[in-house]
Amino acid sequence: MRDVIRVYKKNKLAVFGFFVISIIIVVAILADVISPYRYDEIDLLSFLQPPSIKHPFGTDSIGRDLMTRIIYGARTSLIVGFSVQFIAVGIGVPLGLLAGFYGGRVDYWISRLVEVMTAFPSLLFAIFLMVWLGNGLLNIIIALGVTSWVGICRVTRAKTLEIKSETFVEAAEALGASNSYILFKTIFPNIVRPIIVMIGLGIPQAIFGEASLSFLGFGISDPMPSWGKMIQESLGYLQGYWYIGFFPTLSLAITVLCFNFVADGLRDALDPRMYGRRV
Amino acid sequence: MSKKVLVSFLVLVMALSLSPAFSAVKNSAGKILPPDAAPLEYQVLRVMSQPATTLDWFISVYKRTNEANNYFGEPLVRLNKNFEIVPAAATRWTVSKDGLTWTFYLDKNIKWSDGTPLTAEDFVFSFQLAADPKHGWDFAWFYSPIKNWDKAVRGEVPPSAIGVKQGKDPYTLVITTEYPAPYLPMMMLYSTPLSKKAYEKYGPYYNNDPKTSVSCGPYILEEWTKDKQIVFRINKNYGGRVKPYLEKIIVTFGDPGTSAFKAYLAGEIDICGYSNSQIFTPADLEVIEKDPELSKQFHQGFGDFRTFYLGFDCYNPPFNDLRVRKAFAYAIDKEAIVNTIIKKQGIVAYGFLMPGFPGANPEGLKNIYTYNPELAKKLLAEAGYPDGKGFPVLDMWVRSDLASPTVVAAANAIGAMLKKNLGIDVKITVKETKTFMDALNAHKLQFYLVSYGMDYLDQSNMLGIWVSTGRHAWKNERFDKLVKEASALLDKKKRDEMFKEAEKILVEDVGGIFLWHQTPGALWKPYVKGKDLEPDKYGITALHWPGIEGVGTTIFSIYISKDVLKYRK
Amino acid sequence: MIGYIIRRILGLVIVIFLASLITFFLMHAIPGGPFDELKMPLPAEVKAQILKKYGLDKPVWEQYIRYIWRALHGDFGVPFQSPTETVTSLIARVWPVTLQIGAITIVLSFTIGILLGILSALRQNTWIDYLVTTIATLGTTVPNFVIAIWLMLIFSVTLRWLPTGGWGEPKHLVLPVLSYFLAPTAVIARFVKVNFLEELRKDYVRTARAKGLPERTVIFKHVFRNALVPIITLLGPMIPDLATGSVFIEVTFRVPGLGKFFYTSAFNRDYPMIVAMILLIAVLWGITYLVTDIIYAFIDPRITFT
Repeated sequence: MRDVIRVYKKNKLAVFGFFVISIIIVVAILADVISPYRYDEIDLLSFLQPPSIKHPFGTDSIGRDLMTRIIYGARTSLIVGFSVQFIAVGIGVPLGLLAGFYGGRVDYWISRLVEVMTAFPSLLFAIFLMVWLGNGLLNIIIALGVTSWVGICRVTRAKTLEIKSETFVEAAEALGASNSYILFKTIFPNIVRPIIVMIGLGIPQAIFGEASLSFLGFGISDPMPSWGKMIQESLGYLQGYWYIGFFPTLSLAITVLCFNFVADGLRDALDPRMYGRRV
Repeated sequence: MSKKVLVSFLVLVMALSLSPAFSAVKNSAGKILPPDAAPLEYQVLRVMSQPATTLDWFISVYKRTNEANNYFGEPLVRLNKNFEIVPAAATRWTVSKDGLTWTFYLDKNIKWSDGTPLTAEDFVFSFQLAADPKHGWDFAWFYSPIKNWDKAVRGEVPPSAIGVKQGKDPYTLVITTEYPAPYLPMMMLYSTPLSKKAYEKYGPYYNNDPKTSVSCGPYILEEWTKDKQIVFRINKNYGGRVKPYLEKIIVTFGDPGTSAFKAYLAGEIDICGYSNSQIFTPADLEVIEKDPELSKQFHQGFGDFRTFYLGFDCYNPPFNDLRVRKAFAYAIDKEAIVNTIIKKQGIVAYGFLMPGFPGANPEGLKNIYTYNPELAKKLLAEAGYPDGKGFPVLDMWVRSDLASPTVVAAANAIGAMLKKNLGIDVKITVKETKTFMDALNAHKLQFYLVSYGMDYLDQSNMLGIWVSTGRHAWKNERFDKLVKEASALLDKKKRDEMFKEAEKILVEDVGGIFLWHQTPGALWKPYVKGKDLEPDKYGITALHWPGIEGVGTTIFSIYISKDVLKYRK
Repeated sequence: MIGYIIRRILGLVIVIFLASLITFFLMHAIPGGPFDELKMPLPAEVKAQILKKYGLDKPVWEQYIRYIWRALHGDFGVPFQSPTETVTSLIARVWPVTLQIGAITIVLSFTIGILLGILSALRQNTWIDYLVTTIATLGTTVPNFVIAIWLMLIFSVTLRWLPTGGWGEPKHLVLPVLSYFLAPTAVIARFVKVNFLEELRKDYVRTARAKGLPERTVIFKHVFRNALVPIITLLGPMIPDLATGSVFIEVTFRVPGLGKFFYTSAFNRDYPMIVAMILLIAVLWGITYLVTDIIYAFIDPRITFT
């Protein structure tokens, strides 16, 4: 573990990414304390104002402070991003491991399940679920989570298959190691890296998914903001009011970028065979 | 005649024919274009509309393209720019003394494009089809005043029993009503008939293919490419009263809210702006205002006299308590919403009827509820919710097809005002149309923002939707009685007074909180000219209802001027 | 091998059955129906007649069996949205449009994505690497509907080089493809980079280098092949995704493709169209997976069929 931290620390970008994400998480948690305004507080006398000292990111069409809304939006978006990936990993990794490790009938049925899930166009499926369940944060997480574990499951399965056939696993098997030993001690550490990359890509996808759903009218109810929703709302204001869309997009971009940095750093650090080496 | 004279005569003729007075260009229908009109091949108007399934009112109201009702077909009557009824397929009409029987005399010059004359039979056929429960028509509630209509719709009597019959000859149409309905000619704005012959030969969608399509209106169908465009071409054999200038109308399919303004700026369409939804965001409006060219191209109209309002479930707590509804009415600052968010696209509403609509009474209703947060707080406390304590968290539903950025911004502003002035937490949820209407019609919707636009210019229409059998969960016996009785009254003065009283009850009893009347704007390229773009009696330059895609009844005076040469290649 | 394919096709049938079953019950569970009540409630009798007209008055299980029975005979019904044609002819009309855009996007994004990925792996921490990272970040952080609107504002409204939308000429393809292309390119570039780096660190590369093999041989003969295998897992899911289009892009650029029907069908409660599209996607995914797995095994001999 200490090795992991040591290697991770060597990657400056990864450290930076971790630092920024920590700040964003702290900001999201402390939103109630640090926000200059309330997220639903309107001021019809100062609407659509460009960035100023009073409103660093400007105000929207009903005079709500955009910085405040971005701070609260961080909370919603991070909750959606993490929870959806939590569900996706929670379903996808065990199924992928089982399918790849045991093969045969288990693999066959899990693969069919994966195909059933992918056979639903995820947007249509999410729309149905949202109409059925009703709007709300939890329902969005369910609708997106249920449709987004498939990729992780497939990657896990493919990696497991690949690693299973490598010499060190075969050696462990030949030495009579138990299945659970092989699964957790030899295969699992090796799939962590691609999974982390998948999560790094999956979090922004979940945040987008939420934006797409709100684009179609199934998002989180107003006035609670999310970055995805703020970006979607800004589309009508692109001509003339760049800042309305710019800051949420920037926040999202920075967050995603930092997740990527962290994922890269972890990938290097977690690689069990490559401590400290860089190409 | 000497040779010399002949030559000078020829020279004179040539000179005259070159001078403007003699250069009159006629279009394909034989109408002389105005002197400043562009050459014939430029007489094309391009608009954008949602994709459609049919052109015909009697096939489906919600799946048709809106323009077609007007210029593809010929209704019994049309509206002029001042909202007066003018003859169309019917040259004149009379009513019996008891007000129950209407006789429409059809214009014998109007023929279908296949040469068949337009007769009462086509109208009778169309109405009977609409009343036939097997047809499952999506606007079947509309013609309720017609005799036996509701019974036919319910399947209790055959469709042939409805009060729409041929009169003494094929060019006389007789419509009888259950009770006197002085607004019946106005309802006949919507009577664009189907061709019985074509329907029987080719089925309900005969108008979807130029080969089988027949029209009795100023335009015929030239092309229908699914999901792409419809092209209407001028009807050379049109025998009616509204001969147009434009040779072609091209309706491009798209989502106007997403792309119309941009396509307009890119010069791909000539009109942009709609009377039943606000496609311009507050930012778009600022862009228009700041641009001297665009602001000149912006025309504001009445649209379809649409009123946006907040509705409640008045049958259940907390909104069954009038004090709560009153508190809400006092807590919302409509002026601020209109000034900041709605801007040009609306005016503050005091009642349900918009100024300009028959019987509108803004002055009389203005002072019933004015913005008064203290009084609002007091009323809410009296109702048992001091500072909003114990009040449930509200979920304000906004119907998705109305939820333009402007409307959503207004909903958020209202939510914030209720929070600030009453301490009530309000969530705003844009709800998909079918789910919304399912809940509204079932009277299960607790709190919502929606709008209604008129179907015909009479109080019985707009106020009629508020009777307790309609879509709202609000009931006032006196109101029901007044609206029902006044609707069937022939005495105009007494009728107007009764409607006035009814509307006052609606406002006082807070059946809904009326927020703003929509005055939608439309952009017209500067080369789009015509008499009907000149101000009407209200000083309004926009085109009028009916006709949603900015192309109203008055399309027929529109032509493309020579200025177009600067814009179109 | 053949036994494996037969088993997989049988599996596909099961998938199609399950997917259609779930869809059918889910879509009937949500409120609303193929009738419009925008203004006033329709008389109950009219509503009942509309339901009867479409056979929706029967129990859901019976409707399902009837639908499957007719579908097996090639009859997928008539779409509520477009009653003048059959579901089959509607899909035959709109799908090629989406496929065209999808095919161009896939070819472009794979060519450019792989190229950029390899470049940034070989030139790690140089400006090329940073440029690729920037593009990748843009592609994965800005939703394609935002990119679409920006492209439209720049190229159609301001510069007037390209139309804001429409279909039929090559110029109509440019903006939709550009809006689609960034995200998959970004994903591919990143994946290629990660895999390439991983391969470069493997023992055999060091051995090969130690043996004195030219760097080019090492990379193109060994690393290339091994690093590109996992990309097939990316290509697989991407094909059906792009082959079914995106409602956002198609609505924004007025493309008459299949993508927008996933949305309009749900909104119009167009049951025949919904089920037909689910069946279509199920078949598409099934075949893609089957082919991917076969190719995967073909390239990577370590994997055997079971």
